[in-house]
Amino acid sequence: MNVTERYKKNLMVSNEDGMTKAMESVKTIVYSTDPRDMGLVRKSIPCQNACPAKTNIPGYIRCIHEGRYGRSYELNRMANILPGVLGRICSKPCELFCRHGESDLGKSVSICSLKRSAADLKSPLHRIMEGLYSPSGKTVAVVGAGPAGLGAAHELSVLGHRVVLFEAFDKPGGMLMYGIPEFRLPRDVLMLEVENILRLGVVLKTGVRVGRDISLDELLSEFEAVVITTGCPVPNRLNVPGEDLENVYPGLEFMERVNRGEKPYVGKTVMVIGDGFTAMDCARSALRLGATEVKINIRKTEEYMPIDDLEKHEVKFEKIRFYSLVDTQRILGENGRVTGIEFLRTKLEYSPSPPYRTASVMPDSEFIVPADSVIVAIGQRPEPSGVSASIEADGSRIRTVKDRFSTNIKGVFAAGDCMSGASNVISAISRGRNCALDVDEYLTGRKRKIQVVRLESVPSTDRDRSYDFIPRTPMDTLDFDQRVKPGNPEVEKGYTAEQAADESKRCYLCSLVYTIDTSRCIYCSACIDVAPRDCIKMAEDVPVMEDGSLSAVTETKKWNRVAAIAIDNERCIRCGKCYEVCPMNCIHVTKTELIELNIED
Amino acid sequence: MPSNDHYVIIGNGPAGNHAADVLRKNDPDARITLLSNESMLFYYKHKLPALIKGTIGDTELSVKGARDYKEKNIRLRLGQEVERIDPRENRIYLKHMEIMSYTKLLIASGASPRVLPLVSNFAKHLKLFSSFTDALNQIGDIRNGRRYLVLGGDLVSFKFVRMLKSMGKEVDCLLYPDAFWPFTLTKDMAEAVNKSLTKDGIRVLSNDGLKSMNQTCEGIDVVTDNGYTATFDSVYAFLGMVPNISFALGSGIDTDRGILVNDHLKTNFNNVYAAGDCAQIYNPDIKSYWLSVGWKNAAVQGAVAAENLLGAGYVITPSPKSILSVEGFTVDTSWWENFD
Ligand SMILES: Cc1cc2nc3c(=O)[nH]c(=O)nc-3n(C[C@H](O)[C@H](O)[C@H](O)COP(=O)(O)OP(=O)(O)OC[C@H]3O[C@@H](n4cnc5c(N)ncnc54)[C@H](O)[C@@H]3O)c2cc1C
Ligand SMILES: Cc1cc2nc3c(=O)[nH]c(=O)nc-3n(C[C@H](O)[C@H](O)[C@H](O)COP(=O)(O)OP(=O)(O)OC[C@H]3O[C@@H](n4cnc5c(N)ncnc54)[C@H](O)[C@@H]3O)c2cc1C
Ligand code: SF4
Ligand code: SF4
Repeated sequence: MNVTERYKKNLMVSNEDGMTKAMESVKTIVYSTDPRDMGLVRKSIPCQNACPAKTNIPGYIRCIHEGRYGRSYELNRMANILPGVLGRICSKPCELFCRHGESDLGKSVSICSLKRSAADLKSPLHRIMEGLYSPSGKTVAVVGAGPAGLGAAHELSVLGHRVVLFEAFDKPGGMLMYGIPEFRLPRDVLMLEVENILRLGVVLKTGVRVGRDISLDELLSEFEAVVITTGCPVPNRLNVPGEDLENVYPGLEFMERVNRGEKPYVGKTVMVIGDGFTAMDCARSALRLGATEVKINIRKTEEYMPIDDLEKHEVKFEKIRFYSLVDTQRILGENGRVTGIEFLRTKLEYSPSPPYRTASVMPDSEFIVPADSVIVAIGQRPEPSGVSASIEADGSRIRTVKDRFSTNIKGVFAAGDCMSGASNVISAISRGRNCALDVDEYLTGRKRKIQVVRLESVPSTDRDRSYDFIPRTPMDTLDFDQRVKPGNPEVEKGYTAEQAADESKRCYLCSLVYTIDTSRCIYCSACIDVAPRDCIKMAEDVPVMEDGSLSAVTETKKWNRVAAIAIDNERCIRCGKCYEVCPMNCIHVTKTELIELNIED
Repeated sequence: MPSNDHYVIIGNGPAGNHAADVLRKNDPDARITLLSNESMLFYYKHKLPALIKGTIGDTELSVKGARDYKEKNIRLRLGQEVERIDPRENRIYLKHMEIMSYTKLLIASGASPRVLPLVSNFAKHLKLFSSFTDALNQIGDIRNGRRYLVLGGDLVSFKFVRMLKSMGKEVDCLLYPDAFWPFTLTKDMAEAVNKSLTKDGIRVLSNDGLKSMNQTCEGIDVVTDNGYTATFDSVYAFLGMVPNISFALGSGIDTDRGILVNDHLKTNFNNVYAAGDCAQIYNPDIKSYWLSVGWKNAAVQGAVAAENLLGAGYVITPSPKSILSVEGFTVDTSWWENFD
């Protein structure tokens, strides 16, 4: 039953005092898989919809508001087993879509920093919750202990399977351990959350490279399923003259060495080439190795860099400069060592696919800049053949069945960057977890978990309208001098409880969905008069989309065509003003949450 | 045939005003709207120090009066800030929630002082100065204060230092030769500046940097890297300019440090041009992009952009060079007009 039908059904019976059933049944809870309700959640809660792991963001922010940090952490953990890690380094796709960030509403909520605050502020003796299933007697090998492998191993363990995690390096974490530097992610935070996964009985075997130390066939004979989560270990090359000179480093190799505690030579002037996470980390690490002039050279402009503004700000704060609209032609050297780079200037040109711009070089625009070292961080790619020659690939990515995780080999699955190409940590975790559900179905012959929408009638918001005008709370960071001290101290300091409380107040709690009961509405338009923006509309129709969900309302300005006054939950900021003024009490509030249910309960 | 065009110009500086005049001359019937987020009529920025000193008043500051716009039928809308542009729909969103349509748009929004990462730790203690509004807000404090630190990282800083000195203030100037704008200050130039300012009783801090700043009830306590300690009423930062383009970011109009334009001053949209301090152009002679700087360039670019909006197809070339003499050194420049 969808939310509209439910109201209709409840409304059929009116009590003597005129109260409808819907209004009376404040605590009614309904679970729905109706595409209209699924669609409602997608549109109502844009942050959650943008999160690859579909984290219940308004839910966990509300818990922080109430000071329930442990509960907030657990709500996170249901979707993503590394909240303390992600609260520090997530690429934050959610914040791009946060309603508070719409141009007339200010800045998005600091969703990610709040996630970190729940991890930081919860009790150190906090209780971890796991919905464990009985042991299945099945065994699964997971190859690669990065975010995808950890996500898969955790979910498989929860589902009762015996998991062995094979990792080529000597520590788990994948790029969290060997890519991302410690000043962004302290290793004790990472290891604590990894430990919480291993505690479920996952056996971790480090220093084992599958394809070299043990073959895929051997794994298949020992385990009932194998999950490959080997990430993107091969750095892309520029393919320009001079790339093999001494002191030219592939970005990934540079970060691996730095994260092992080595100090690769960088000299004073460092040229980094690339515009993503890796390039930023290389530049910031080079600075900490003693470089005095670090430049990040990009082909397009800052606007098209795949990192967020905060990260750019931190890079600039460390006196690292972006050099935009340049393309590397060759790396120059003397006696085998780098002395400089020759660039050509580029210009932006339209391209039909996102992000809609390419850079083309301008003829005769060459110029040379000096450099003591060059770090080439222009992305990395998977190498499935390293694991086994018989795995089929699309280009370098492991090929899986459309929208699923099984490969061409029976019992072998793949997840994370090795099948998607280089992405980000939250996508890798989410894919690892979803892959585990596929493996579980393969092993048990049935689906055991489903996603449903939980609908609960609730009173209107208790947020004060003044909360909407609180500015975004920036996170305090170390001063420059402290950043470059030995020991790679963490740059971001985290929120204090007061800062977290302030920031949590800003969330509109978009999971509250406001609807008008049209059978009681007298079209007085009192709600429209108090509305803070064009959130309440005179609707002519609500078309149904191909997937069964409802599209945005078709508005009309002609009264004779108005079929209903409707609240547009994509525009609504949940201020509750309409609820307060409606003379007929016909505005209802429903908390809508996407949750996972165990089918067999 | 009467023109149906509505030209909108964002910016009431030399670029915007020269463009408006050219447009009016060549298209007598078109609607022309000139927008500025300041409330002051078109004024000479280089005369702002004289306004603070009190040697000139508002009337001498302005380039022309309101009547000029009326006579030319140019709609001047002051105190109205552009917040966003939608070039696909030919619309401008103003801060006060108004939406304005255009057929042709010129962005001439100038530049504002920048806070370099170098001093971003101290941003909250730094005062910036570049407009009539800044002058209005700060005039009282400047007149009443006694001792100032000026971070000398651009050409305007020297004018400001001179202004303070001539008002009888005690002035320290911390020189930033490496970060100087809009050109690097060579060792010789820095030495010349040092000599020229010191001669007139200004304390110049060379080869030094800011170590700490603390606000106390006495003023701002400053400690430099070399251990120099002093308390100032205010610290002014002049470290170059950064184009005012926030309203264009993410709009689809290509930007880098400024609005990216070709040598016709056209953006990646055929009916949107940019001119003056906000425009960034590739210059094949120096094999680099450059940002327009200075009054003269802005005026020329405004006029050329207007001609091109009218269909002329002129290519912009740097203005002829002339010698600019500043604090004991000279540079050969095509952009900065020597008003003094
Ligand atoms: C420097 C850098 C910074 C980044 N910063 C961020 C960031 O701030 N935010 C963000 O969201 N993303 C960031 N990313 C991207 C992110 O780290 C990856 O998208 C993510 O780690 C992918 O997870 P994964 O589990 O698929 O692969 P990986 O993390 O690469 O893990 C793969 C694991 O498999 C192991 N392995 C490989 N081959 C074998 C084999 N044959 N046998 C056994 N084990 C094997 C590897 O040793 C590794 O431990 C960054 C990446 C880099 C390189
Ligand atoms: C104190 C001082 C002294 C100077 N001395 C000299 C000198 O001696 N010689 C010299 O050549 N140059 C000098 N300059 C520099 C010169 O004034 C500038 O280069 C010139 O004004 C640039 O012209 P412009 O038209 O590009 O922009 P501006 O004159 O900066 O005009 C920009 C206009 O855009 C408006 N605007 C900006 N953003 C918005 C928005 N979002 N919405 C609406 N309106 C907006 C502003 O209000 C302003 O009206 C000096 C500058 C200063 C500050
Ligand atoms: S306001 Fe809150 S619930 Fe709404 S999109 Fe932003 S973070 Fe999510
Ligand atoms: S709660 Fe009502 S008035 Fe407030 S934003 Fe939503 S629909 Fe508009």
